[in-house]
Amino acid sequence: MMKNEYIPFPSQVKKIIRHTDIEYTFRMEFTGEVKPGQFFEVSIPRYGEAPISVSGIGPDTIDLTIRKVGKVTNQIFENFEGNHLLIRGPYGNGFDIENYKNKELFIIAGGTGLSPVKGIVDYFSSHPGEAADTTLIAGFKSPDDILFKQDFEQWEKNIRVIKTVDSAPDGYQGQTGMVTKYIPDLPVKNPDNAVFIIVGPPAMMKFTVIEVQKRGIPEQNIWISYERKMCCGLGKCGHCKMDSTYICLDGPVFNYKEGKNLID
Amino acid sequence: MGLDINTKKAKKNAFRISKERGIGASRIRVPGGYLKAEILGMVQEIAEKYGNGIVHLTTRQGFEIEGIRLEDMDAINQMLQPIIELLDINQPEKGAGYSSSGTRNITACIGNNVCPFANYNTTAFAKRVEKEIFPNDLHFKVAFTGCPNDCGKVRLHDFGIIGMTMPRYDPGRCVSCQACVKGCKGLSVDALRMENDKIIRDEEKCVGCGVCITKCPTRAFTRSRQKYYRLTLMGRTGKKNPRLGEDFLIWADEDSIVKIILNTYRFVKEYMNPGAPGGKEHIGYIIDRVGFEEYKKWALEGVELLPETKVKECVYWSGIHFDR
Amino acid sequence: MGYQLPRKTADTLFCRLREHYEIFAPKLFAGDGCFSDTDVIRYDKVSSLDEIEFDRRSDYSFKEALFAVNETLFYFTENETTIPSCTDKKLLIFLKSCDLHALKRLDAIYLENGPEDFYYKRLREKACFVLMDCGETCDTGFCAGMGTNRSDNYDLYLKCGEETVWIDCPSEELLSDLKEAGLNEAGETACAVTPNYVTQNKETVTLPKKLSVESFDNPLWEAYGSRCIGCGRCNFVCPTCTCFTMQDIHYRDNENVGERRRVWASCQVDGYTDIAGGGSFRQKQSDRLRFKVMHKIYDFEKRFGYPMCVGCGRCDAVCPEYISYANLVNQLAEEDAK
Repeated sequence: MMKNEYIPFPSQVKKIIRHTDIEYTFRMEFTGEVKPGQFFEVSIPRYGEAPISVSGIGPDTIDLTIRKVGKVTNQIFENFEGNHLLIRGPYGNGFDIENYKNKELFIIAGGTGLSPVKGIVDYFSSHPGEAADTTLIAGFKSPDDILFKQDFEQWEKNIRVIKTVDSAPDGYQGQTGMVTKYIPDLPVKNPDNAVFIIVGPPAMMKFTVIEVQKRGIPEQNIWISYERKMCCGLGKCGHCKMDSTYICLDGPVFNYKEGKNLID
Repeated sequence: MGLDINTKKAKKNAFRISKERGIGASRIRVPGGYLKAEILGMVQEIAEKYGNGIVHLTTRQGFEIEGIRLEDMDAINQMLQPIIELLDINQPEKGAGYSSSGTRNITACIGNNVCPFANYNTTAFAKRVEKEIFPNDLHFKVAFTGCPNDCGKVRLHDFGIIGMTMPRYDPGRCVSCQACVKGCKGLSVDALRMENDKIIRDEEKCVGCGVCITKCPTRAFTRSRQKYYRLTLMGRTGKKNPRLGEDFLIWADEDSIVKIILNTYRFVKEYMNPGAPGGKEHIGYIIDRVGFEEYKKWALEGVELLPETKVKECVYWSGIHFDR
Repeated sequence: MGYQLPRKTADTLFCRLREHYEIFAPKLFAGDGCFSDTDVIRYDKVSSLDEIEFDRRSDYSFKEALFAVNETLFYFTENETTIPSCTDKKLLIFLKSCDLHALKRLDAIYLENGPEDFYYKRLREKACFVLMDCGETCDTGFCAGMGTNRSDNYDLYLKCGEETVWIDCPSEELLSDLKEAGLNEAGETACAVTPNYVTQNKETVTLPKKLSVESFDNPLWEAYGSRCIGCGRCNFVCPTCTCFTMQDIHYRDNENVGERRRVWASCQVDGYTDIAGGGSFRQKQSDRLRFKVMHKIYDFEKRFGYPMCVGCGRCDAVCPEYISYANLVNQLAEEDAK
């Protein structure tokens, strides 16, 4: 019998980490090969499927950080039953750790764009010697929107972290402003050996890339990940196509040299 | 010697007596307003030979050839003969022009010969009724319009026939694009909604306009085989109590409408006030006088309505009362 | 090599063939057109040759025989999912040359682009294709220039006359089924049967050769896009459009039971690119039009090596706003010739 890729399998919810009122990480049972930046189709029968990137990888678990923003994700929060979710995947290419080893690594993430790169941050935070230097700039709308608070505590011990919010109430102690504000002062030693991973909303990515290029970083040293509508994850439904590229098959992670030519 | 003209006879023969002594106009009915272009040439010929070269397009889809001399009526009737034949108008005596003018020309919008919104062939239905009721001296106005847009302004007529279609929906062809929902909301009565990714039609609200069908890109919505009509009654203009026609039947069929119109002629013959000015009483006023219950009895006699036809129990008219 | 047989014999033959085959063919649906008293030709199961519309091009393509407008992927109850069963019969699909070329495009997406599609494949494997020829060109098609006017990869070619039917059956499997259904090779007149094909269309289309990302700025997209109402008809009639959207529904009388299905989608219709949380791409109709046209004549070819468009001309025939894709493509070609 031919494999039916559309049929999801049940995966046990091992743990739920609540970041904000609308953002939870579901630690799911999963054994199999998976890379940061790949995604799963997560579904609640009767409500639908949503593509969710892998935000963490354990020995027999994956983390799926889900933002409650639509019909499906609302249901995932409220109605998952019997401690199971139905998932299928992983899909997409994901980030290849090898591309970043021994480099000055700069990861710039906006909002939930931190999820797909979190696996990379985790890796170099726990293997600090494998990169020449690691910096994370993570931007959020407000202090209430900050994700992975506990993880930040860990990361701040091992790598350079700039955690900034677009706007904050008076008296906020942390850093503020857009992520782009911090790019001119990043300690880039050798632009040719520096790699940037940039993930976030379309406008954030656009302006971040411009700022990064101002630092003399060559295109091929920039990596991005696209979020598009991915109904099937199998190169069939067509919704995620840009030019001749199917984001679900060929992406979502692209070297900027290739990714810059992808126009919606 | 002064002109000796029987003006009653002339008017019945479809000539107008104008305000200028000795001068009248020849009125040419065009049922449904649909005609072969060659008739235009014939009209032109009469206008140039006997008239003053001017033709008025009447409000009831006819021609009025202006400035004719009343003594030329017989000669004009001869020239009208090929027009009457081309328009296939019932005529008791050839060469004598039109034999009555009481029942007015049946008007119709362009209908589904051309219009994308129309739900039936208004010309064909108008001609069918024309064949049934003409010639006739009783004062009736009948009008046809292809869809609930009512471009034919049929609610100003004694009988207004508005085309409807019962949308048939095949959920298996529906792609949830909601073109029908948007179309119905924007152009019609907002009778559609999407539930569970499929369309639900509010049957009470739906006016059968067919917008959902023309908007559907996949043929999930199609027209019913049966053509349906809304029949509105007793709209009128006039000095006493102008008013819009009110719904009598909804989702009615063609045969029933023809029968009801014919039944109404019998009703009028029975109840018309013989002392009415000119021996004519407009049917709307007869119904006002006799009562709708009695009219309904006569109208529906022998009529076999479709099971889905909705009949109004009672009809009330409003309008402006200048006579009270 | 083929056979000539009396129409009556052919009718009986196809009637008997239904024991093993579901026959899909273009059929006239009288009164089901967009406007009052107009018809539509679309695919449906047929039970006799009489029902088949041989002459005119169907308004909707053959693709729905392999890829239903709504296709249930699975049903779910509280604890389990059930895949709907598939017909145990084979499929016999009547189509014209342009559509047979479109089949290759459907295969490219459903069988080659990423993993094989379970639902498409299980029907595709059962399908045989019967080529019908075009006596004369349709009004808007431009198959000759696209090289899709001829096909030789049919399982059966069939030409239907008033009294006579001619067939050519290169497929051995189908031939043996036809024999089982009563095709009498000895009884029928053997003769050379080769498909007729259209060599010239009313419409000629030249594909531009120098398209690139820079073509995205062409003012033609806005010129045409401003006329587009985003109804998606061009996609739904297209034999090569394959997009779908997933839908989950629950049954009204039992909330816990429902199904997941896929439904045809259009890149011209609102919602196609919407992502959770409110983002969407290509909000302007001109961008959507550009996206579609570039897919048909540029980026599909970049991925698979041949243009996606087969020149059937259905999109031009169906557009309520009289947008001519053919004319648009020709203008692009003229510009890059400059």
